[in-house]
Amino acid sequence: MSYSPEQISIMDSIIARYPRKRSAIMPLLHFVQSISGFVTPEGIEKIAELLELSTAEVTAVSTFYTQYKPEPVGEYHVGICTNTLCAVMGGDAIFDAVSEHLGIANDETTKDGKVSLERIECNAACDYAPVVMVNWEFFDNQTIQSVKDLVDGARTGNPPAPTRGPKTLRTWKENSAVLAGLSDGLAGEGPSAGHASLLGLNLSKEGK
Amino acid sequence: MTPENAVMTDVEMVTVVIDGFDVTVPKGTLVIRAAEKLGIQIPRFCDHPLLSPAGACRQCLVDIEINGRAFPKPQASCTIPVENGMIVKTQLTSEVADKAQKGIMELLLINHPLDCPVCDKGGECPLQNQAMSNGRSESRYEGVKRTFEKPVSISSQVLLDRERCVLCARCTRFSEEIAGDPFITLNERGALQQVGIYEKDPFLSYFSGNTVQICPVGALTGASYRFRSRPFDLVSTPSACEHCASGCSMRTDVRRGKTLRRLAGEDAEVNEEWNCDKGRWAFKYISSKERIAGPMVRGEDGELHEASWPQALARAAAGLKGKRAGVLVGGRSTVEDAYAYAKFARVALNTNDIDFRSRLHSDEEAVFLASRGVNFNVSYRDLDKADHVVLVDFEPEDESPIVFLRLYKQVRKRGLKVTTLSPVLSRGSEKLGAAIVEDIASISGLSEKSVIVVGERAAEVIGQFTSVVKLAQSTKAKVAWIPRRAGEVGAVVAGAIGNLLPGGRPVADPAARVDIASVWGVESLPAAHGKATWEILEAAGDGRLDAVVIGGVDPLDISSEALGQLLGASTFVLSLEISHSAITAIADVVLPVAAVSEKSGSFLNWEGRPRFFEKAIADSLTRSDLRILSMLADEMGTPINLPSSQAAAKELQSIGEWDGAKADAPSVSPATLTAPSGDQAILHSWRQLLDLGTLQNGEPNLAGTARAAHVLISANRAKSLGLSNGDLVKVSTARGSITAPAQIGKISDSAIWVPRNSIGSQCIANLGAASGLVVTVVKA
Ligand code: SF4
Ligand code: SF4
Ligand code: FES
Repeated sequence: MSYSPEQISIMDSIIARYPRKRSAIMPLLHFVQSISGFVTPEGIEKIAELLELSTAEVTAVSTFYTQYKPEPVGEYHVGICTNTLCAVMGGDAIFDAVSEHLGIANDETTKDGKVSLERIECNAACDYAPVVMVNWEFFDNQTIQSVKDLVDGARTGNPPAPTRGPKTLRTWKENSAVLAGLSDGLAGEGPSAGHASLLGLNLSKEGK
Repeated sequence: MTPENAVMTDVEMVTVVIDGFDVTVPKGTLVIRAAEKLGIQIPRFCDHPLLSPAGACRQCLVDIEINGRAFPKPQASCTIPVENGMIVKTQLTSEVADKAQKGIMELLLINHPLDCPVCDKGGECPLQNQAMSNGRSESRYEGVKRTFEKPVSISSQVLLDRERCVLCARCTRFSEEIAGDPFITLNERGALQQVGIYEKDPFLSYFSGNTVQICPVGALTGASYRFRSRPFDLVSTPSACEHCASGCSMRTDVRRGKTLRRLAGEDAEVNEEWNCDKGRWAFKYISSKERIAGPMVRGEDGELHEASWPQALARAAAGLKGKRAGVLVGGRSTVEDAYAYAKFARVALNTNDIDFRSRLHSDEEAVFLASRGVNFNVSYRDLDKADHVVLVDFEPEDESPIVFLRLYKQVRKRGLKVTTLSPVLSRGSEKLGAAIVEDIASISGLSEKSVIVVGERAAEVIGQFTSVVKLAQSTKAKVAWIPRRAGEVGAVVAGAIGNLLPGGRPVADPAARVDIASVWGVESLPAAHGKATWEILEAAGDGRLDAVVIGGVDPLDISSEALGQLLGASTFVLSLEISHSAITAIADVVLPVAAVSEKSGSFLNWEGRPRFFEKAIADSLTRSDLRILSMLADEMGTPINLPSSQAAAKELQSIGEWDGAKADAPSVSPATLTAPSGDQAILHSWRQLLDLGTLQNGEPNLAGTARAAHVLISANRAKSLGLSNGDLVKVSTARGSITAPAQIGKISDSAIWVPRNSIGSQCIANLGAASGLVVTVVKA
């Protein structure tokens, strides 16, 4: 696959945002994922060429961050936090149950290509534990049942809305484009901070 | 006070206490280095004095306090610079530091396979050694170790065993910082972190072998040395590299008469601690099947037959005595051998027809070399300090790799300005950030702190040496001549060229001839201007010479006619060679000579710095060229009395440098080139570092990393020919053609470039020329 002139010009516009070309490596990797769903060899070669880096240097970055996928993931990539707090609050149980429900293990994708599963590390939302992220959108205070419903909905093309963030859940590729810095115009949609996060602030405002 | 001292006193010094001892070091010195000054060795893996600090392995932890305030936990001594008031306690005086180091060692060993008995590094391994000196004697780890497939090849010559890697990042830092080839990186993270390449792009760096040498464990190994020996079975001899004029100091490791590996030696002034892969791995030629075992004489039947030394020498003497003979010396002679050839030509053959230039050459070049004398007064240090370096017909990465590394170091460190006079921006030039200039007149910004480096290919451009000298005179810039081969500078000094006697004495100067005649104990020396290589060949071809003595020359390095010229006439050919070649195939007498590892001697690198080496293969019975020439001269009744390289070196030294007038600088006006049109282009080429050179024979792993032949063309030419990268292009002359994949790159629209002597692209054999010629370029 080779990139279209439009895609190249988007890449150029991303590069133009930085004083030094090489700084654009991370958004470009997301951009590649927004096109192919994962970091393809063509993507690595193109980024290396555009940023005047070696392909090895691009590989080093793309393999370091777990957000960059060496293999295709599902249209809905479900990350279940299994770090300490979420795990004890139910994350481990959710992971096991959903894994069994879907018949896939960690880092695997359902045959229909709709859902993939990942044990993720802390996403800075411990106050909503157990937390699940789908395509990096928050699903707070989850239960085994809510996540089963979530993945079932996702597989039929009808996933529930995230707790915070946009009103409808976007696909992996769509959100990868957002991470590449290309706005989908939804940044203002839905709540960004929830009750638990604002509790302390509200208490202090009330003078308590 | 010398300027160096002046610099020393300018440096701010800092005194610190390490393990109770005061040590005063320049500000900015790392704690680990300051400790070394006291003889205190802190264990380390990632630390390397020539690489930027990384703090990657944590093995060098020490306790530090500054002005009474202690760091809360041990610190990596390889990343912390000394400060006034600093008190350092190493493992020798601090239990905390000692325990921390032992803890780190234990962690490093958790996933280490401990397969020392089958590891090349075993016996010379910093991990093995420091695990003994600074680790626990028994492992407490009972879990399952992480395993990786072992080994994987990251190029045809470097193997990676990830299980053994301690993630010190020495190899990756070297590749990026020193070689400018960041083709290996630390990939993945956490427990899976590993060194790797991008799957489709192997580690093709001319300097890759250095990573094998500096890897502090057996994670990187050389394919050619793997499983061949244990370090304690090797006998090591300091040596010098015979491949190029950079002049690397080397170490040759021999086991039972066989060279098993060569390593970069340390010489801060020259190669620091590095070398190139050719110097490291191209040594198998000495054990090739083509090696000549004993003297050979051509019989009545037209075939070569083995002969005894007395027979062969008698036959050679008969072919040369009283005859009109010329001498061609290969560019890889040692100074001592070149001196023997120079003396042999004058004393035994009574001629100045001798030339070491077994490549394209010109009279202008010979005049340039004579006018320069033998005290070059330019060195690596001048490159280090230069404000501007101009490369004229010289590609350092391919033609003198350590010069490239030195330039690259300054480019990285302080943005050294580099300009290259060339129609091509090579990969090396690109790494140097070089500005491309096509016309010497448009080079500006030179001062007395600048260096103009002129390569041997300047001889292929009429008037180039003249222009270089003029440019240097008008700007006061220094001029360095850097030929490609290791023996050429020494050959100039030894007088192995038609216009110079030893020590830079002009043949044309009667006083110079008297000088040398008296040292050599002969009445007089021939006064006629000696012929150049091409003239010697021509004279051999048309019968003006009766005989030619040839030492280590590949005729196809000179011209496509050379062999025919030698063959055509009834010229007597004496060949002194290591291995069978095109020349031995036509020679009347073949005398086998010793390779570098089988003799002692020296080269002069481009600075004129002697690079001595000792005989590495102690029991070799082969004889050096000078020994053989000496025997032959005796046989002819005109002795040259050079029984050993020591004798030759001593005699040459006693002759010393010429203090009389030097030859005038060349004055040749440049030729005006006709601009090519349509499908035509001007041919441009040079030899890539790794190519079909005969001294690289017998080492397929090395050859596997050579850059493949391609035709470099400009984007405009590609467009007009309808070519994309990788499409085949045919470059042809009346003589023949080269067909190779196109590579669109930075090259002038009127030029094309092909490698001069690579697989599928041998300019002289295929095209009959190597540069400057108008060729036809079409889509194949
Ligand atoms: S391969 Fe060797 S040099 Fe490279 S990181 Fe591993 S241990 Fe260090
Ligand atoms: S740079 Fe030159 S002298 Fe050094 S190892 Fe390579 S070929 Fe030999
Ligand atoms: S030697 Fe200091 S951290 Fe590796």
